[in-house]
Amino acid sequence: MEEYPEELRTPPVALACLVGCPDVHALITGNLHSLQPPINTIALPDFSKISVISKAAKENPAAGSAKAVGGIVKRDWLSKHRTRVPAVVVALFSSDHVSGDPAQWLQVCNNLENIKATIQGRNIKLLVVVVTQSGSIDDTSEDRMISLRKRAEVDSKNLVIFVPDDPLELKQSLNRLGTACAELANAYYRDEGRRVKARLERKNFGSIDLHIRYCFKVAVYAEFRRDWLEALKMYEEAYHALREVVGISTRLPLVQSLVEVKSIAEQFHFKISTLLLHGGKVVEAITWFRRHISYYRRLNGAPEVIFLHWEWLSRQYLVFAQLLETCSVTVQNLTTTVSVPADKQTEWEFYPPYYYQLSAHYLKEKNSCLEFAISMSEDVGGIDGSVDSVVASVYVGQFARLLEHEGTYAMQALTDDEYVRYILAEGKRFQDSFEIIALLKRSFEAYNNLKATRMASYCGVQMAREYFVMGEFSNAKQVFENVASLYRQEGWVTLLWEVLGYLRDCSVGISSVKDFIEYSLEMAAMPIITNNDAPSFRDCCPAGPASLSQREKIHEEAFGVVTGESGIALSENNGLKVNGDCPLYLEIDLVSPLRAVLLASVAFHEQIVKPGARTMITISLRSQLPLNVEIDQLEVQFNQSECNFIITSDQKPHLAAISHVHPGRRVETAPTLELPTSKWLRLTYDIKPDQSGKLECIYVIARIGPNFTICCRAESPASMNDLPLWNFEDMTETIPTKDPGLAFSGQKAIQVEESEPQVDLKLDSSGPALVGESFILPVTVASKGHEIHSGELKINLVDTKGGGLLSPREVEPFLADNLHVELVGISGQERADHSEANIDNIQKIQPSFGLISVPFLNVGDSWSCKLKIKWNRPKPIMVYVSLGYHHSNEPSSQKVHVHKSLQIEGKTAVTISHHFMLPFRRDSLLLSNIKANHDSDHTPSLALNETSILIISAKNCSEVPLRLLSMSFDVEDDDSITIQPKEEKFREPILHVSGEDFKKVFAVIPKGNFSTLKTGAVSLKWQRDSGLREDFHSCSASSQVTKHRLPDVNVELPPLVISLKCPPHAIVGHPFTYSVTIQNQTELLQEIKYSLADSQSFVSSGPHDDSTFVLPKSEHVISYMLVPLGLGYQQLPKVTVTSVRYNAGFQPSTTSSTVFIFPSEPPFSDQ
Amino acid sequence: MIVCIAVVGHQNNPLYIQSFTEADDALKLHHIVHCSLDVVDERVNNPKKSAPTLNETFLGLLYPTENYKVYGYLTNTKVKFIMVTTDLDVRDADVRNFFRRFHAAYVDAVSNPFHVPGKKITSRTFAERVSTIVKSFGLNSAG
Repeated sequence: MEEYPEELRTPPVALACLVGCPDVHALITGNLHSLQPPINTIALPDFSKISVISKAAKENPAAGSAKAVGGIVKRDWLSKHRTRVPAVVVALFSSDHVSGDPAQWLQVCNNLENIKATIQGRNIKLLVVVVTQSGSIDDTSEDRMISLRKRAEVDSKNLVIFVPDDPLELKQSLNRLGTACAELANAYYRDEGRRVKARLERKNFGSIDLHIRYCFKVAVYAEFRRDWLEALKMYEEAYHALREVVGISTRLPLVQSLVEVKSIAEQFHFKISTLLLHGGKVVEAITWFRRHISYYRRLNGAPEVIFLHWEWLSRQYLVFAQLLETCSVTVQNLTTTVSVPADKQTEWEFYPPYYYQLSAHYLKEKNSCLEFAISMSEDVGGIDGSVDSVVASVYVGQFARLLEHEGTYAMQALTDDEYVRYILAEGKRFQDSFEIIALLKRSFEAYNNLKATRMASYCGVQMAREYFVMGEFSNAKQVFENVASLYRQEGWVTLLWEVLGYLRDCSVGISSVKDFIEYSLEMAAMPIITNNDAPSFRDCCPAGPASLSQREKIHEEAFGVVTGESGIALSENNGLKVNGDCPLYLEIDLVSPLRAVLLASVAFHEQIVKPGARTMITISLRSQLPLNVEIDQLEVQFNQSECNFIITSDQKPHLAAISHVHPGRRVETAPTLELPTSKWLRLTYDIKPDQSGKLECIYVIARIGPNFTICCRAESPASMNDLPLWNFEDMTETIPTKDPGLAFSGQKAIQVEESEPQVDLKLDSSGPALVGESFILPVTVASKGHEIHSGELKINLVDTKGGGLLSPREVEPFLADNLHVELVGISGQERADHSEANIDNIQKIQPSFGLISVPFLNVGDSWSCKLKIKWNRPKPIMVYVSLGYHHSNEPSSQKVHVHKSLQIEGKTAVTISHHFMLPFRRDSLLLSNIKANHDSDHTPSLALNETSILIISAKNCSEVPLRLLSMSFDVEDDDSITIQPKEEKFREPILHVSGEDFKKVFAVIPKGNFSTLKTGAVSLKWQRDSGLREDFHSCSASSQVTKHRLPDVNVELPPLVISLKCPPHAIVGHPFTYSVTIQNQTELLQEIKYSLADSQSFVSSGPHDDSTFVLPKSEHVISYMLVPLGLGYQQLPKVTVTSVRYNAGFQPSTTSSTVFIFPSEPPFSDQ
Repeated sequence: MIVCIAVVGHQNNPLYIQSFTEADDALKLHHIVHCSLDVVDERVNNPKKSAPTLNETFLGLLYPTENYKVYGYLTNTKVKFIMVTTDLDVRDADVRNFFRRFHAAYVDAVSNPFHVPGKKITSRTFAERVSTIVKSFGLNSAG
């Protein structure tokens, strides 16, 4: 687009000419420029210069039709109208002159006449401006103004008074001037357009050339007026008319005629495309472009200058691409609405890269044709100097010879021969490769941005080819490599073959022997199995056609280089050698394209093996190279380097390659190490891993010749991917091992077990643990066959429900509370021989984890320690103990592990319960008992200052016998309650077996009258019964205390206390006294009713049924005399006492009113 | 005249590609077929553009390039057929008809129990049949 002249590229702008009063020119010019649409100006300072716009020496405009036309469109016509021929002449007169003395007035009139004479021939419009000062507007004489207007033959609106020195007035006058100017310019272009159009309509022209020219002019005038539709219409007409010229015009020789037509068509097309695209009609523009191309691409022209055609075509695409790019925003919006049915516009036609690519394509075509034409012309005969004076002629698309004749120049038409020679000479001066690359690069990048990677790849290939031709190998290589990966991925073998062929030659160009070999081997291993040398594939690639024979050739070449036997084809390049100084090392990993060259599959026959035991390993190799490959030496490498081994061929047992052998390595021989094409070479050997852990085969390294190594990463047959490219070939599947099971499940790694531990780890548990005590768990390590070096004992306490003791779910309560079970300490780390433990003793203890080191132990020695574990709650746990050690002092020796675990129950040892009772045959009337709300959480009530009985019973819940040592009370307030005895140490420990209840009776006397009284807690001291008596004394520290809190009691003052009195036993026939004492503790008189029920076993005397009053704070005794009649346990006659005030009755319980009757005086009674 | 036809598999790999020219431009045709896959992708991934051709196997003109026009066809199993022709005026109906016959031939070829899906089509019968279809396309449009 840049090669087009400026006036063609930009829309035309109207032109006005300012004459006179040069001091205001700048003001007016600025204003006209800023108009919408703008107007350009020519400023002439004084009236004498007006002749520059006068009509050129065109002798006779009317005779134009008669005279033969020299060309279709003049080259400078457009620029003339844009820069030299104004539409309006603005004549500026100073008001001083207008209204000045007659001489000045005469001058004004003269100037005006001059102007009128000049512009008349061109129909240029006139605008008269009188420049005046703001103060002297009214000074200008009205008569002179009218006369000026008449002389100038202008309407009153075209006579403008211009006031430059008052801002407001200036603005107004500028506005007026601008409007008038624009109107006049429009009128001028309209009139001119009409004039030419009238000629068109009258068909008043002699040749079709003029028809085209007129159309062109009308279109340009329309453009001046911004009448785009009209302009478009006329350009199209001109374009169509131009087609009629093709082939029939005889004005010029054949070749030049076509060149002229194409140049003009190009300009018209450019105008049309611009108008369409800027009007937002992208689809139309593309359709138009298609038509343009499809029509003109047939007009190749003479074969010797066909390159002109390609150049022209290339330019069309380039320009259109650039146009599309400038209005790309609109394109984006449009494409979404366009549907793609049938053969309308396709996706890429809306984007510039499509056109850039084709532009590059045709430019390339031009290049090759030009080269051919130049070589032909050189054959015919050199280019003489006559072309030097050829220049572009006055008509668009024409060339002529400039003849200098005595200071004047004349144009002489060229013959086709001369023209061709000129063009060839011109063509030789330019080198298009850079331009082609630039175009392709643009296209490449744009396609990549559009995510059209394949299109971009094609551009990349073309670009890289161009680099290749130019000898820029590293650039070419970079682009080719990029592209090759896409072709590899999608399996486009032919395309990949081409790219690799170039890459191979690029590697030669940059002397990279490694790349050369890699690309050669990749090519040789490509899945091309036909041998068809189709002519269509010849000469298209430096590596020759993709065929089996070519693969074989490349294979031989590559191996010739690596074995150093032949540097043949490459001998001229010193860099490409493989020898002792520069050995070649190729690495093939799982994603390398060279996997097809050498694929190593390694399978162990077993999954797990004991250390030191033999197992089998199969190494399968496969190559897709077209010829057999002889491997001299094969090295198999493992992650445990002592297992590495080397396989050599039987046929070539001693070769230089053997020098690579690490001394002491195992060397195996195989009958042959020749790799046949596409067949597995399977080698099976046994292997003896010594170290435990994972044994994995990492590399299989093949050495061919002394200086060539291929290091191939081992793959497991179970997880082996298909070969790239070959996976699309329709061929039988083969498996790497003979055993199909192994082929599907074989792994390149094997698990080597640990050696058998020869150490005993013992955990001794003495039954369940009891909550609260520090449970001792002895751990014994006894060596049976291994010495123990740097042993470590790990202890883990784990909840049997699974998970650690600190499972997240339980973290909250744990944080608030203590741990249920914790490892408190490890004690008694001593060897069996009681020597000092190691000093560098690692010891780490956490609540549920412990780590201690075990000192060195000789065979037969043992060592033990005691774990102290404390249970805070009853809970079963698992104790895991694991010992890790080295069985020899060598740092390389493997660690051996022994694991033991033990489940331990944690149990509560003793549960304590309590029970309050009233004293025997004594009852305090407690009012709260009478109210009798029998809730379960009813706090027991005790009578103030009366003795109550407290029974504490302890039950052994564990399975082990315990010894009870003492029982004591912690009373918070000694004044308010008395408990007797407060502490009782058992004289000797009481053996308390499992399930047994132990009871102890205490007397409680509340002294403070509180509604709720804290009674405190009872503590029971106990210890585990180890069965040995002396332990009791020696291990008194290990006794545990179980506490039981007594409930709060309700203390109240009983109003009445009733006690029964009767002897503990009686003798038949002997009378005894049975009395009921009623104690009134209140300040009130109490009425008591009482009655005595008769009993068959006794004869009774005393009040039977009565009521009495008891005085305040006094006692009343009701006594009976009873004579027993029966023997044995006898129920005393039942006494019922009722307090009328409290409406509460008392009846002694059956047990308390029973007495034993002896037949005679019992013998012990006296003692 | 049809100069190249191709069957392209799921991974955009060529399953069958055959050119019918005497000139040495087979490689270029391969490039053109490969490039056309971008258009197929674009058209399949943005179906709203071709809403009227929803459920339509025939993709129409993929793109014009140099002297060629490239047409596409997408089977229900997402196998792509690409055809490159040098004819400038091609009727859609002819192309549709061609692809229909080509599709039938493809279906017969892959129905062979010895054919592994996703692998290249090596059947000679298929090649012969395709070449007949290609030749008859030229005749039809000429006549």
